[in-house]
Amino acid sequence: MKKITVIWLVLIFFTGTALVSAAEPQPMEELKGPIQKGIAILKDPEYQDNREAQREKIWDLIQTVFDFKAVSIRALARNWRILSPEQRETFTKEFTELLKNNYLDKIQGEFQNEEVVFVEQDMLSDDKAVVRTKVIRKNVETPIDYRVHLKDGKWRVYDVNIEGVSMVQNYRKQFNDILAKEKPKDLIERLKEKNNLHAEERQKKG
Amino acid sequence: MKAFIRYTFLLLALSMTGYGLGPDQARAADPADSGGASIYETGEDYEAFMEELEEEEGESQAVQIADPLYYWNKGVYHFNDKLYFWVMKPVTRGYKAVTPQFVRTGVSNFFNNLGTPVRFVNNLLQGKSEQAGVELGRFMVNTVAGGLGFWDVAEYESPLRDRPNEEDMGQTLGLWGVGNGFYIVWPLLGPSTLRDSVGKVGDSPLYPMFYVDSTGTIIAVEAVDRVNDLSFRLGDYESLKESALDPYTAIRDAYLQYRREQIRK
Repeated sequence: MKKITVIWLVLIFFTGTALVSAAEPQPMEELKGPIQKGIAILKDPEYQDNREAQREKIWDLIQTVFDFKAVSIRALARNWRILSPEQRETFTKEFTELLKNNYLDKIQGEFQNEEVVFVEQDMLSDDKAVVRTKVIRKNVETPIDYRVHLKDGKWRVYDVNIEGVSMVQNYRKQFNDILAKEKPKDLIERLKEKNNLHAEERQKKG
Repeated sequence: MKAFIRYTFLLLALSMTGYGLGPDQARAADPADSGGASIYETGEDYEAFMEELEEEEGESQAVQIADPLYYWNKGVYHFNDKLYFWVMKPVTRGYKAVTPQFVRTGVSNFFNNLGTPVRFVNNLLQGKSEQAGVELGRFMVNTVAGGLGFWDVAEYESPLRDRPNEEDMGQTLGLWGVGNGFYIVWPLLGPSTLRDSVGKVGDSPLYPMFYVDSTGTIIAVEAVDRVNDLSFRLGDYESLKESALDPYTAIRDAYLQYRREQIRK
């Protein structure tokens, strides 16, 4: 259970001005650039006093690498079917916001010059792959795997696995539990509430 | 228990093929499927995607667990949560403030070294003789040359440099095919399963502290170990909790997934 969470942070190092790729973009190569760029932004002294600007800057990068729609569908899995088209849209928006808040808080709050080592990539099929990385903080190593799929010619992340714990599966369990007792609109309401609370707290902090 | 899990699995598989959906729900979902523009919402691609998802979900149901002690577990979860915020966290913060990092690392190394017998024996029980050898080598080098384990001098010896994976009796039993049983949350110790709890008891004679008579000493040593360990990962629990919509379920699932991965390694 140790540092599982610590690391959810790193998934965020994703960002990416997509290098306009050659015919065959390699997943690992494609993730490297954005991650390194994200770390550079975290270290950049220019942003030390302007956290909001840093936050948005990193978020811009993340959005180009993560496929949040795929993350949302996978997290709901068969429950996706019981949502109306509008609900699907709202859900995706709110869930994305939740992930954004969690991860940006985490990496902005606790960045300690971690080093990211790219270990290898495993092709699962023509359009799916796992990129294995290790995050090294002080002398603690944490394996983080990114699951990516090819979408519109670009490799995009649809799940992050930290020390064997899949983020999508973890949320799937929670959503399943909630939807066993409540309606989709209640679930969306819960997400909204959580996000609003977060926005309020951020405003208080300035 | 295994039969039970298999039965649950079957039910889930059935429900996923659509039999589990009430007719109303099934009908309600239909127009939506044909309405969207994205490949996720319409046509064959969508169906294929959903099928693949369901297959994946089947896999994830493998880490499903019975929770017959739900009310007890939830109570203990809240107790542990308060204990963390009211006691463990402030104490650890104070400790961290007055203890230099190299001391904390040393203490961590020391306790890690004391844990060697557990890892060594379980490596053997799992047939991982090479890892067992590394454990033994590290133990000798660090105990003798590393001041009873405070320094990880084995780091400088290439075959001994990397710490082998953590191994314990819970993992050994898992590898032998023993299922999780049910989920249980222990006061102070946190999430566990029936199998992992049995494993903990099995491991206990391998800890040197088992042979100390004074309860006071055991508690003190245990406290130092816990607080020192926590000083390296303050904030983790908070963010795990913060990121979850339902922290109890999130932690239970994270524990199960994490253990499954440990067994696999």
